[in-house]
Amino acid sequence: MTITLPYLATWQMLMDVLARVVTLRGDRELPIILSSLPELPERELGGPPVSFIHGPPGRNIAVAIGLRAARPHTPLLLIMNADGVTLGTNHLIHAARRNIGMTLLLLRSEVTEATERQPLDRLRWGAPGYQQSIEPMATPLEWATALQSALVGRGSLLDPDGLAALINEALETPGFSMIGVTAGANLKLGVLSRTQWPEYFTAYREWVASFVKLAREGGAGKAPSPKPVRAVPRYETLIAGVGGQGIKLAGTILSEAAGLCEGLWATHRGEYGSATRGGPSRVDVVFGSDPITYPGADRPDALIVLSQGAANRYAPLIKPNAHVVADPEPVSQMPPGALPVPIIQLAREYTGRPIAAGVVSLGCVAALSGIISLDCLRQSAARHVPRKALEKNLAALEAGYAATREALKGSSVEGDVR
Amino acid sequence: MSTPSFIHGNHAVADGAIAAGCRFYAGYPITPSSEIAEILSERLPQVGGVFVQMEDEIASMAAIIGASLGGLKAATATSGPGFSLMQENLGFAVVSEIPCVVINVQRVGPSTGMPTKAAQGDVMQARWGTHGDHPIIALSPSSVQECFNLAVRAFNLSEQFRTPVILLMDGLVSALREKIEVPDPEELTVVSRTKPTVPPEEYKPYAFTRGGVAPLPAFGDGYRFHVTGLLHDEHGYPTEDPAVVSAWWEHMHTKIGNHLDKILDWDEVELDDAEAALVAYGGTARSAAHAVTLAREEGLRLGMLKVRTIWPFPEEAVRRLAAQVERIVVPEMNYGQIRLEVERLSAGRAAVTGVNRADGLPITPEQILAAVRNRE
Repeated sequence: MTITLPYLATWQMLMDVLARVVTLRGDRELPIILSSLPELPERELGGPPVSFIHGPPGRNIAVAIGLRAARPHTPLLLIMNADGVTLGTNHLIHAARRNIGMTLLLLRSEVTEATERQPLDRLRWGAPGYQQSIEPMATPLEWATALQSALVGRGSLLDPDGLAALINEALETPGFSMIGVTAGANLKLGVLSRTQWPEYFTAYREWVASFVKLAREGGAGKAPSPKPVRAVPRYETLIAGVGGQGIKLAGTILSEAAGLCEGLWATHRGEYGSATRGGPSRVDVVFGSDPITYPGADRPDALIVLSQGAANRYAPLIKPNAHVVADPEPVSQMPPGALPVPIIQLAREYTGRPIAAGVVSLGCVAALSGIISLDCLRQSAARHVPRKALEKNLAALEAGYAATREALKGSSVEGDVR
Repeated sequence: MSTPSFIHGNHAVADGAIAAGCRFYAGYPITPSSEIAEILSERLPQVGGVFVQMEDEIASMAAIIGASLGGLKAATATSGPGFSLMQENLGFAVVSEIPCVVINVQRVGPSTGMPTKAAQGDVMQARWGTHGDHPIIALSPSSVQECFNLAVRAFNLSEQFRTPVILLMDGLVSALREKIEVPDPEELTVVSRTKPTVPPEEYKPYAFTRGGVAPLPAFGDGYRFHVTGLLHDEHGYPTEDPAVVSAWWEHMHTKIGNHLDKILDWDEVELDDAEAALVAYGGTARSAAHAVTLAREEGLRLGMLKVRTIWPFPEEAVRRLAAQVERIVVPEMNYGQIRLEVERLSAGRAAVTGVNRADGLPITPEQILAAVRNRE
């Protein structure tokens, strides 16, 4: 049978089906309709009053995902044609494979435009020329079945009661349903496949309810009681070496010791992508009693270098009378005036691991600056160093402090040692 | 009371979103914004919210629109490549007046650019990225504290003016860790959209009240209406009637333009006696602030206009500045996007130059100072 449906008549038939769905639902909540097709002419046709989203082609499936999260129980009815399986395919696949609760009516081309009879589980959208000649047709109902949609079915505008009942069944089925809508009557109608499994957001909410509510505030950011405010001029600390020396962690510990424990303002400039093992690594920590503007240690007051490259690059930048601590093991050519402290050796000696070099460096900073106390560094380290390794790391921290004080005694530049 | 914590900018944005009442996040993780998704994936369930990792950024933007229509405060976060994908549905949120927050942590572009390196190249994209002559609000934080504060403000403005708000961050601020004071919930101003009180048959979802916006019920709460990307009348029905469309445009522009006093936000630093000024925003404003300090130590009378609400741009403040100072330097991690605005508003009264780089490295205070000195 070949039928010819003028455009408006098709919409009238669809509006008639929707009116029957409204009747079938009785007191149950009416669906929100999402479509990118020319707006349902409900005003002109006097159809059912519904909430209607006329969204960008294909995107309504993703809009429906957000709407479903916000309205767990409101039925969502999507009316789409080609946009559902072109622009919308990515969204369709993910909504279906997650079983997100919505009912998608996929209008075959003869419903919206053409009149030609085609196999019902296939979709053409009236594209002229080669597309119809050489491309296999899209088979969205097969896709939906393969994705284990909760319900996949077919209905015809020529059987409005049957189609309305099928739509209503899909609306009542938790999860993702897809119904191919034709204007023909010669192919199998009704439910084609079913899969029973939980609707995504229902499952999500059940899963979330079983969460142990970890109060994130109790974690790394929690402040110990800060010390009284004292005047500390801007102080720039730069620790530089190579990845694998624990430099990033040192920045975290130092900046929190300054910002939270010492009651100062402090910044810790973060950088992505530079901490690969063996590659250059640096961390800038700036602190003081006034808010820190620029977070870079471009002119360090304290510079700790753990590689020859870092020594060459940064030693010339230090402020007048500032200190450079260099580890003579990797830095064979010491910068002028640099204090030699065997940082990596101390790390190995106290923890067995060179990655503790960063923590040893913090002992150096404590000795050089006279601003950040060992006590605050210990408290801060306790929040970031794994418990098993903490004791050894604290010993390494103190060793770095003692060695730097010793080096300062032999130095012509006076350190502010407490 | 407030609680100090020591966190990075992305963490502060996530905390600010939760504090502002955000209860839905849909996104596709991308450097340097990924921590926002990571933290919210944990925090949202703890407060009864929903986190969904989407198939792409087009879907992310669509999903937050759906969630917002359903009554939840909703956000997504991304970086340049994702922000480009969001433009289509961002326009839909603009035209259908759906509150939502889009966080864009800028990295070096175009295309995938330099994924881990900070930039400020999306300033004009934030303004004009989606097509059509639309109004938009964009905020730019320069500290971790501002990341928190402006995240809250982004939600507040989006709810108050029924518009998407872009939180335009950069990779400097997102990865910066510093101390912030997190206000207690009772100290925080949180704005939520108004709900209609009229009977459903009298409700106009897009009422053209000159300078105001219509209340917005949660979709499905008894007020049935049309939401469309087509230009529409006050009921949301599509129209091509020039008179109605003109009224719509007036509504769209006055709902933002009539409230600049509530939207614009900037700081004036050391401007009282300034002969030269910096106009700066985002992470670069930190370098600029330090340059002001260094300049003052040298006896240079340098000040700064630090812009937090970047769109709409604080036009009057810049006009006043141009009338006061001899020259203005605009440091940006791009090749001069806000400088164009400053030049336009200066209209020749002050000499305007830029300090520009987009090689992934921050602009240093010394660079800015050199640019200021060069004009001495």
